[in-house]
Amino acid sequence: MRMMKRRDFVIGAGAVAAAAALAACTSAPPAPAAPPTQTPPPNQAAKPTGAGPTAAPAGAAATGGGLTLPNSGAKLPTEPLTLRWADNAGLKAIFFKDFLPAYQKVHPNITVAYDGLPLPELAKVVPLGIQNGNAPDVFELPTGFTGAQAVQQGWAQSLDDFIPNFAQWKASYPPGIFVNGNNVFGGKTYSFPFVSNKKNNALLLYNVEYLKQAEIDPASRPLTWDEFRAAAKKLTQQGAGKYYGFLTAAGEPGRMAMLIRFLAQMAGAVGGDMNWKTGEYNYATDQYVAAVDLLLAMKADGSIFPGSASLNALQADDQIPLGAAAMMINGSYMIPKWRTEAPAFVWDYASQPVPDGKTFSPLTYSPGGSVWWLYAKSKYPEVAGDMLGYLGSEVGQTAVQQAISGAQPSVFAKANQAAGIDPLARKAAALYEQQMRLAPSPNVRNPAIAEVDSELKPLTPDFGAVVQGLFTGQLTDPSKALTDLKDRADKELDRGIKAAQAKGAKVAREDYVFANWDPTKDFLEADYR
Amino acid sequence: MSATTSSLTLQRRFAVGWLRGSRLRATITSLILGAICLVWTYPFLWMVSAALKTNVQVASGAGLIPPSPQWGNFERAWTQAHIGQYFTNTVIITVSTVAIVVATTAMMGYALGRYDYPGRKIVLALYAATIFIPEGYTIIPVFDLINRLHLNDTLFGIILAEAGGAHVIFVLLFAGFFSQLPHELEEAAIVDGAGFVRTFAQVMLPLSGPVIATTIILQFMSSWNNFMLPLVLTLSRPELRTLGVGMFAFQGQYYSDWSGMAAAATISLLPIIGVFLALQRHFVEGIAGAIKQ
Amino acid sequence: MARAFAAPVLSERLYAARWCYVFMLPSFGLAILFTFWPIAASWYFSLLDWSGFSDERPYIGLANYVELIGDPYFWQAFGRSFLFMAVTVPVRLTLALIVAIVLNDAALRLAPLFRTLFFLPVVTTSAIVGLLMVFVLSPFNGPVNQALVASGLVGRPIDFLGDPATALYTVMGVSVWKQFGVSMVYWLAALQTVPPEQLDAARVDGAGRWDLLRYITLPHLRPFAIVIVLITAVSALRVFDLVQTMTGGGPFFASEVMEVYIYRNAFSVQGGTPRLGYASAAGVLFGLTVMLIALTQARALRWARQARGDAGLRQ
Repeated sequence: MRMMKRRDFVIGAGAVAAAAALAACTSAPPAPAAPPTQTPPPNQAAKPTGAGPTAAPAGAAATGGGLTLPNSGAKLPTEPLTLRWADNAGLKAIFFKDFLPAYQKVHPNITVAYDGLPLPELAKVVPLGIQNGNAPDVFELPTGFTGAQAVQQGWAQSLDDFIPNFAQWKASYPPGIFVNGNNVFGGKTYSFPFVSNKKNNALLLYNVEYLKQAEIDPASRPLTWDEFRAAAKKLTQQGAGKYYGFLTAAGEPGRMAMLIRFLAQMAGAVGGDMNWKTGEYNYATDQYVAAVDLLLAMKADGSIFPGSASLNALQADDQIPLGAAAMMINGSYMIPKWRTEAPAFVWDYASQPVPDGKTFSPLTYSPGGSVWWLYAKSKYPEVAGDMLGYLGSEVGQTAVQQAISGAQPSVFAKANQAAGIDPLARKAAALYEQQMRLAPSPNVRNPAIAEVDSELKPLTPDFGAVVQGLFTGQLTDPSKALTDLKDRADKELDRGIKAAQAKGAKVAREDYVFANWDPTKDFLEADYR
Repeated sequence: MSATTSSLTLQRRFAVGWLRGSRLRATITSLILGAICLVWTYPFLWMVSAALKTNVQVASGAGLIPPSPQWGNFERAWTQAHIGQYFTNTVIITVSTVAIVVATTAMMGYALGRYDYPGRKIVLALYAATIFIPEGYTIIPVFDLINRLHLNDTLFGIILAEAGGAHVIFVLLFAGFFSQLPHELEEAAIVDGAGFVRTFAQVMLPLSGPVIATTIILQFMSSWNNFMLPLVLTLSRPELRTLGVGMFAFQGQYYSDWSGMAAAATISLLPIIGVFLALQRHFVEGIAGAIKQ
Repeated sequence: MARAFAAPVLSERLYAARWCYVFMLPSFGLAILFTFWPIAASWYFSLLDWSGFSDERPYIGLANYVELIGDPYFWQAFGRSFLFMAVTVPVRLTLALIVAIVLNDAALRLAPLFRTLFFLPVVTTSAIVGLLMVFVLSPFNGPVNQALVASGLVGRPIDFLGDPATALYTVMGVSVWKQFGVSMVYWLAALQTVPPEQLDAARVDGAGRWDLLRYITLPHLRPFAIVIVLITAVSALRVFDLVQTMTGGGPFFASEVMEVYIYRNAFSVQGGTPRLGYASAAGVLFGLTVMLIALTQARALRWARQARGDAGLRQ
């Protein structure tokens, strides 16, 4: 790809040149996604109707807690028992509010002790439990650990023997979900996704009333970066201190990393943080630097919500329905919350801005997907398997989609057509569908990469912190800071590979290079060969 | 006024004037303190008001009056944080922990503060040294230890883990307090035929009301709010958890239920405030009278 | 003063003090189990390359310490912890002493109420305080900024928690507010030890309130003051949950104190495995350094006192 001058992205005149440069990885311009026509009647939307048209396994369906659970036919213990379950809550907890009472009603001898914990707490509870042999029966891995590590270290066991009618269950999935090195190891299945990986927090989320008043239309085509910057400025002026043009959770480094990663990736930094074609980090690319420059320019304009730097993601989200800011780059996960707590608020989704308003390179998502792992020493794996089997079935996923109003899509196409899916969720899902492609994964090609993952030490400052430092002015030179980050990331990866090699793992930096990768297409199983 | 006014009259007049002055002073002081307290407790009031708002209203910030009180928050807090279920556990753990801590630290403080004997300085030095160690990560060895004692998943394990530890601050407070009590107290007790233990239990300990009250309040607070130890020590038996653990039911990946959390916090704070109100007069009455003799 | 057991032979002295040992036993036993042993364990952890999770935990000697000494973020956090202590301890203790003395006035009928009100922030959960302060201090519609702008003290709102120049000091302020009640309770307890007959006698002798305070009350507080300063200093060095909930150590490490640094490395990493061994080493190194400083100070203090005592004798 031709080198681009970073100022091009910020100053209007350069946008055309940038577009030309981007042509290499251009895909169809993102047309606004029309919400699918079949909006369900509201009374049907409100109440989950239970089993979908797919055949529920033979046996009487049992009802409980407003949710109808199919009889899995599994032979479960009849003595009173408590199954322990720990994850990071969120949308899962919304569904569990319906699911757990229903399950316990069908199985009166079973109590499910569910802990939805913040990540740092999860990071203490799960390791301590595993060391002590009494981890929760089903757990989500804390950040910093991959499923491959969990399996390698013997923390998790496979689901094959515990999910009722396992072969049939697994076969019901669309292709590409069960992937060796991600949720399948040695031919055994260990986990499955709760919602599809094909989702992001990269949409333009906006206050309809404010943008209408300012006569800004992000829906017919994506805003250019210049238009975006101008829009934020105009909206800020229009708000006259009552609201601001753009809000970002600058107090949370992870969110700052996402923001820049998404902007840069759609601008042409293919693959996000790593360009899979070359196996090189993208941090120091023109697109990354330009995305930071755009953010800084908007800050200099005074267009960014003034308290941004002290807001974490959740606090920032809450400001939007209050009308404190007009636009943010975010996802669709908050739909159920805002619908219940701010029913009068009207917002919409559009494609995030791209430099020239037309061309974009797709965002990537990882193959496979996992959230829950079955603890290797669980006393009641068949109970956990029964519950997981339901959660991972089309029927269960349909119930999930109903409960969460489709806030994040399922991997089952049918589940995504469930009644009660919010029109905005459909719109967001259509944008995900249109803008995202399956990325290659070194772990899939070479499961030994897990050894490298175990060796990698966190970078200080990491990408998110660097962006935050640039945003607050503690770091002053974006190009220099991002180049330094790239160097440190390279060095650490090389060190990790070397350390893994020293332990006998057959890994190399070449494992991160996928020469045949086309960023505009899904990287499918066949492409690994 | 005659120059021969007796000193007694002078004294009385002085005392009356001093009292009258003090009443006026008290009124003015109260007014000033009242104003300060209003600002001081604003955040606390905000928490109570947040418990009656919707989550979106909480995010809107400063106003104290909930537009339409959401009493349902308390209901949700009660069920979601398992307050009913966890309350008894919390009381058992907190009361036992406080009792153990007061007893052990008072005894330690008495020995260290009142007597000099071989080994005292070493123990003092060891205790003093522990206060410099950051605590952040000691959860892992503590957890390991409770497991080896086969006490995990018992209330006693939690009590021991919370009551355990050097509690240097309390020991130093007791030691400091006992060291400055007059020796006549003991001598009188010995004349009465009291031994070491009885002197401590019947003469010395009752005098240490303020330190005991301080210890109770501080330890009560830390046990009542503690969540990490109860959480990891009851992994297999969630029914043994405490209110502090329940508070985490409101924080999740994408949502935080601010108002539910505020409601749960409000409910779980009431007992602490009760304990403080009940004990604080000990600071006032205390030992002042006893020392006079 | 502590009373010594007068006996020439050690065994006799030990026997005479037998009850002292019995009294020490419960506390010391618990301390060994739950304080000394965990500390020893963390020393051992500090020599490992361990995530805190896996069974694999190779011994790497002092490598963690070597890395720490070269880690600027460690030393910055170290410095911030001391700055935190140096600023908050005097402010908190002075204010708390003033309020305690005012509240100690028998004529103040409402004293119990005020004591409770001043104590309320202490019992308010840190997670809630953190959340609340983000709103109270917000540059957008936050009441503090509204008051500052309205009074003309500042031209434009201050982003207290988001501006790297103010974040740490803001957290310090909130910490003083939150912990104030504890210091007040300590001072109130200490004030009870002032013998009232001394105060009465001085009053009769015509001493004013200021004289009473200066010549009777404050000197009585001195032995307590040393303990209280120590306690407060240590709690300031250990400040964690307030910082974590309000700023998470940010923006860009601007308010990262030592406990937050340790926590970040042990439990809250992004993009890599947690480093419990490294975090343990940071804790040990920090603890040792603080202890060294405290010892040096104590030595200096004793030396100064001796020097003064000698001078006094010579006169």
